[in-house]
Amino acid sequence: MNVLSVRGLTHVYGQGTSSEAVALNNCSFDIEKGELVGIIGHTGSGKSTLIQHFNGLLKPTSGQILLNGKDINESKKSSVESRFKVGLCFQYPEYQLFEETVGRDIAFGPKNMKLDEEEIKKRVLKCIEYVGLDESYLEKSPFDLSGGEKRRVAIAGVMAMEPEILVLDEPTAGLDPQGRDTVFELIRQYREKTGSTVIIVSHSMEDVARLATKALVMNKGEVAMFGTIDEVYSKADELLTMGLNVPQITRIFMELKKEGLPINGNIYTVEQGVNEIIRLKKEGYTL
Amino acid sequence: MIKDITIGQYYKADSVLHKCDPRTKLILTIAFIVVIFLCKNFFSLGLMAALTVVSMLISKVPVKMFLKSMKPIIPLVLLTAILNVFYTTGGEVLLSIWKITIRDKAIFTAIFIAIRIFCLIIISSLLTYTTTPTMLTDGIEKLLKPLDFILKPFNFRVHTLAMMMTLALRFIPTLIEEIDKIMNAQKARGADLESGGIIERAKALIPIIIPLFVSSFRRAYELAFAMDCRCYTGGDGRTRMKRMKFSLCDLFVFLSFIIIFAGIVFLNIKFDAVI
Ligand SMILES: Nc1ncnc2c1ncn2[C@@H]1O[C@H](COP(=O)(O)OP(=O)(O)O)[C@@H](O)[C@H]1O
Ligand SMILES: [Mg+2]
Repeated sequence: MNVLSVRGLTHVYGQGTSSEAVALNNCSFDIEKGELVGIIGHTGSGKSTLIQHFNGLLKPTSGQILLNGKDINESKKSSVESRFKVGLCFQYPEYQLFEETVGRDIAFGPKNMKLDEEEIKKRVLKCIEYVGLDESYLEKSPFDLSGGEKRRVAIAGVMAMEPEILVLDEPTAGLDPQGRDTVFELIRQYREKTGSTVIIVSHSMEDVARLATKALVMNKGEVAMFGTIDEVYSKADELLTMGLNVPQITRIFMELKKEGLPINGNIYTVEQGVNEIIRLKKEGYTL
Repeated sequence: MIKDITIGQYYKADSVLHKCDPRTKLILTIAFIVVIFLCKNFFSLGLMAALTVVSMLISKVPVKMFLKSMKPIIPLVLLTAILNVFYTTGGEVLLSIWKITIRDKAIFTAIFIAIRIFCLIIISSLLTYTTTPTMLTDGIEKLLKPLDFILKPFNFRVHTLAMMMTLALRFIPTLIEEIDKIMNAQKARGADLESGGIIERAKALIPIIIPLFVSSFRRAYELAFAMDCRCYTGGDGRTRMKRMKFSLCDLFVFLSFIIIFAGIVFLNIKFDAVI
């Protein structure tokens, strides 16, 4: 079943002014329930603009966004409802923290949903656990945390609304490699535990390959490709023209395959590569 | 939209006024403000209005932009005009209904004040449309430089003030962008900024103002460090990449204005005052 469908979405910034800019041009695609979609694209390709349409923050210049088959911009009510159904976590979300304690900040979303105290408390506890922090954090000031911890608290604040679709705009931007791995691992676990649909915007092809079930490639405001990781990543040359590099390890193994080595499937991460080399060695190939 | 705010908005064009030294424009703007308050009759005011319109046209800035900056002032002008109509005494009675009498002098005064306000707005907008904020503060710094003599004992310099202004102006667009981002982030968490009474609305601003303050402080620290790293120690001994020069354009603009100001004095003496 399609949880989110985008139909002919076009967005023009500053229409009718001298700085008119077409950020999205006739985008259409469907996202199935439970999927983890990675949106990739060069800077300025329209990724952030696209996802801000999913919860009605931006209105389409033309086209439709269907959430469970219903147009979110049909009425003011449906547009407000979509804010809670699609949890959108912006780039650098730690700058949205404002409460005195972490617990109260996470509770901001659920409070706006007018849930009762009991339910809010339950969700706060659940979400702080989702992002791998313990309960002692709930009483701390968000401004005393490290960068990575702040980021995780901010993400928990969006998760606490228990959205059907969780959308994250570059959730690992500006984090160190370790912080990046932690955040990705948390997102993966969150999806396993809740079974919700997740959309991640990233410009790292490696991260998307590691995490996502499907990849959507944006180029100059248009959907250039949409398919499984294997389908998309096999078009390395085409991606290169859009300023996107398939992971180095993938390219090395593509070359090795051309040389005639019997490599299984596509290799996207260094670990996969190591395992594949060990397997080939065991089978008696010399590299 | 929040982005429509046009404080110190520069409009890039190639005109005599754009080429002028910021000091020329600052001095003439101040002179204009003084002179327009000296105007006593419609002849001198008319000349000032003509000067305003001509300046506006030679600046090559679209008239639309001026209309935009005048729009928010219109209610104020109307209010001033109406109050004048009721409170002016003297002159011939034109109309008298119940307790309200309208006199010709009142009408004249109202029109006079309206024209004066519009001229002031156009001329001051013209200054910011044709001068970048950096040039403007540089000009102010140069003009106020003699004040250093007074400020020195307090370990303060005109340059410091000018630098503060430059930085404040520089960060206005950044902060507007930041507010936009924070508002969107809180809206995405279901924050309702549009409904409710005054108190609720004020409360709804907290999730926006606090992150804004936090990031402003962070930016201020970062900027201070960056300036320190580039050995900024204030204005003493600092040289400039772009030096201001008094050019032919300045001479031309200066002379035209001075001749017109002289004309105003003449018209003020020659004709009777209406205000
Ligand atoms: N608020 C805005 N006003 C005007 N143009 C914008 C705005 N936001 C983005 N754009 C433009 O739209 C295009 C797409 O931007 P964006 O969606 O942020 O891309 P990405 O997230 O892929 O880097 C860019 O060319 C950008 O300059
Ligand atoms: Mg972006």
